[in-house]
Amino acid sequence: MSMAPIAQAPVTGRRRRSPLPYTWQRGYLLASPALLVMLAILIYPLGYSFIMSFFRWDLSGSAPFIGTGNYTDELLGRQFNQALRNQTIFSVVSITIEVVAGMAIAVLVNGKLRGMRLARTLLLVPPMIAPAVVGLNFRWLFNTQYGLVDALLRIFNLPDIPWLTHPAWALISVIVADVWQNTPLMVLLFLAGLQSLPQEPLEAATVDGATPWQRFWHIVLPLMRPVIMIALMLRIIDTFRTFDVVWLMTQGGPGGATNLLTVYSYLLAFQAVDFGHAAAVSYIALGMSLFVLGLLYGVPWLIAKRRAI
Amino acid sequence: MSGNLSRRKFLAASAAVTAGSLAAPWVARADAKEITALLITGGPLYPKYWEKIVQDFTAKTGIKVRYDLLEFTPLTAKVVTLSAARSSQYDVYSTHTAQIDSYFNHFAPLNSYFSDAELADFYPVAVKYLRDPKTGNLAAIPRNMDARVQYYRSDIYQEKGLKPAETWEELVDVGLKLTGNGHYGLVVPGQGDPAQRTFSDLLWQAGGDWVDQANKPAFNSEAGIKALTFYRDLIQKHKIVPPDAVGYQWNENSTEFSSGTVYATFDWPGAFATLSNPETSRVVGKWSTAPYVRDKAAISCAISHAMALNGQSGRKEAAVEFIKYTVSTDAQRLQFDQFTNFPSSQSLAKEVIAAAKGPQATWLQQLETTIANGKEWPKLAGFSKVCTLMFSAIEQALSDQASPADSLNQAAKEAEETMRRAGAYD
Repeated sequence: MSMAPIAQAPVTGRRRRSPLPYTWQRGYLLASPALLVMLAILIYPLGYSFIMSFFRWDLSGSAPFIGTGNYTDELLGRQFNQALRNQTIFSVVSITIEVVAGMAIAVLVNGKLRGMRLARTLLLVPPMIAPAVVGLNFRWLFNTQYGLVDALLRIFNLPDIPWLTHPAWALISVIVADVWQNTPLMVLLFLAGLQSLPQEPLEAATVDGATPWQRFWHIVLPLMRPVIMIALMLRIIDTFRTFDVVWLMTQGGPGGATNLLTVYSYLLAFQAVDFGHAAAVSYIALGMSLFVLGLLYGVPWLIAKRRAI
Repeated sequence: MSGNLSRRKFLAASAAVTAGSLAAPWVARADAKEITALLITGGPLYPKYWEKIVQDFTAKTGIKVRYDLLEFTPLTAKVVTLSAARSSQYDVYSTHTAQIDSYFNHFAPLNSYFSDAELADFYPVAVKYLRDPKTGNLAAIPRNMDARVQYYRSDIYQEKGLKPAETWEELVDVGLKLTGNGHYGLVVPGQGDPAQRTFSDLLWQAGGDWVDQANKPAFNSEAGIKALTFYRDLIQKHKIVPPDAVGYQWNENSTEFSSGTVYATFDWPGAFATLSNPETSRVVGKWSTAPYVRDKAAISCAISHAMALNGQSGRKEAAVEFIKYTVSTDAQRLQFDQFTNFPSSQSLAKEVIAAAKGPQATWLQQLETTIANGKEWPKLAGFSKVCTLMFSAIEQALSDQASPADSLNQAAKEAEETMRRAGAYD
């Protein structure tokens, strides 16, 4: 084996004291510049902002330690709770629509129908567009005076909808933009999953007289479970990071009606110049997304473990 | 040369690169004949303006200026970030009255660099709100004034036999007569900082103020509620303002007027140049200016773009020379000629007004009156955070989510707690 000569290389007394084999030391040494860069640009700011979330950090000169003050202020605060409510609605509704619609479209384009090749290609377009561009486009589409959507409504003698200026419609509008951009990504993921499914169980079910719905519900869906879990994980992480689309469409307005946790955190940091509270909000959001992901993976694991016992 | 990279060579090269990177800022800082600046831009002419200012300054003093340009919002975000990091990357910052209270501990005081006579030439309202009320330190020096007047479509007004509104009541009356067929009588912004500015003007005009004698929130007074009710009614009841204005900031506000959709607005000095330029306006030659409307009082905001010295700068003397040059008569005159930016120097403003003719002279006089009577919200500790509360409160009232009284009372309660926590009452 190629490892043998290195293992037989003479080692100094100093090297012998190291708990790591010589090859590991060399590996770490060569990787150290990259690791240092990672530490500097990723771990250090993360750790620093976590520490600062326990300080009053607002550019006022001193930054006293206030324990969990920033966290309790926010958890009991009206604006944070409004942002949390918006975030929950936004994440649950958009992920549900994206996953359900994504699966339905994937099943459809997986068939050997005419034009499906073109459909699959077109599905690549929305995820390729930068979220900032999507936000700007939807801002204009939903403009009451000049927007295409209200212009179409007027053609059918329907009343104008205040898409971005009414609190409920504004939240619906940002969900629509998010669904438009991310459903195709779900379709592509599910399509890849569907195309890698074993055909034998499906053929056997067909022979046994199962309907298409029974084949989908009892065979395809259980087999697709790992892909669905990955899709859910990606979307949960993504919705907790959503910023650009909402910022460009509504800046969190009107009156905080579309303030997600990221937008609220940004406003705290760059408008209120209150980094302590902004960091606390970011870590609460991180904690929440980790908790949801934990539930997503932990609950099925526990159920499986209990069944095994 | 051998092509093999030994561990020793690799480590030596890595060490050299790291040492070079770490030492570079100190090496650069050692050169006192070169300073760095983060400057504001906006529109195609601004880069040329700064290029000329920097060239002239270097020719005069021998000090080189390396500078970066950013528009207002990203500039503000960058200054916040650099201040939080206590960065010495830039010696000089462009700044503004709006958020100056956040930087009182990060910008070096300029008091000692300007004599009393020099400071007396600047508009008092500009200097007053760039000072830290606790220490009296001057955090920045005004470069040009920002105040608003009324811009209206003189052709349409003449056709319909209307005069520009002088009072709140007239604003509604005139607006109602002009609204229809896809056009609106007025546009006001309704989101974020622009919404707060508009409310602020109406609050002062109604006879109210942001805080009382004890610096406790007073914007939820009867005057405040009247102001916010009037503001909301322009959009929701009288419908003389486009419904989407609830989501408008300054750009959308200006565009509605320059595109010809709306017949009146209140805009900043830069609008005079923008509306006169066929490339940026469809209403060239069809508009005129009038004073801002009034209610009990004729007050609106008078703020300024300003220049500040980074407290972390290692080249303060050279940096101050540059700051002084940017607010000099020559620089301010050039700024006025290029962008019609109103000078912060009172003596220069008088000269400019005296030399102006026709509509420009009228407009400059209207602006000067606004500035002379102008105000700004208080620069108390924690007030930047109060602003974010106000954005939400005003937007909630404008979009009919809550009554003006409920929005303001809730915001006042939270504002007092915010300012108390920030040390405004210590």
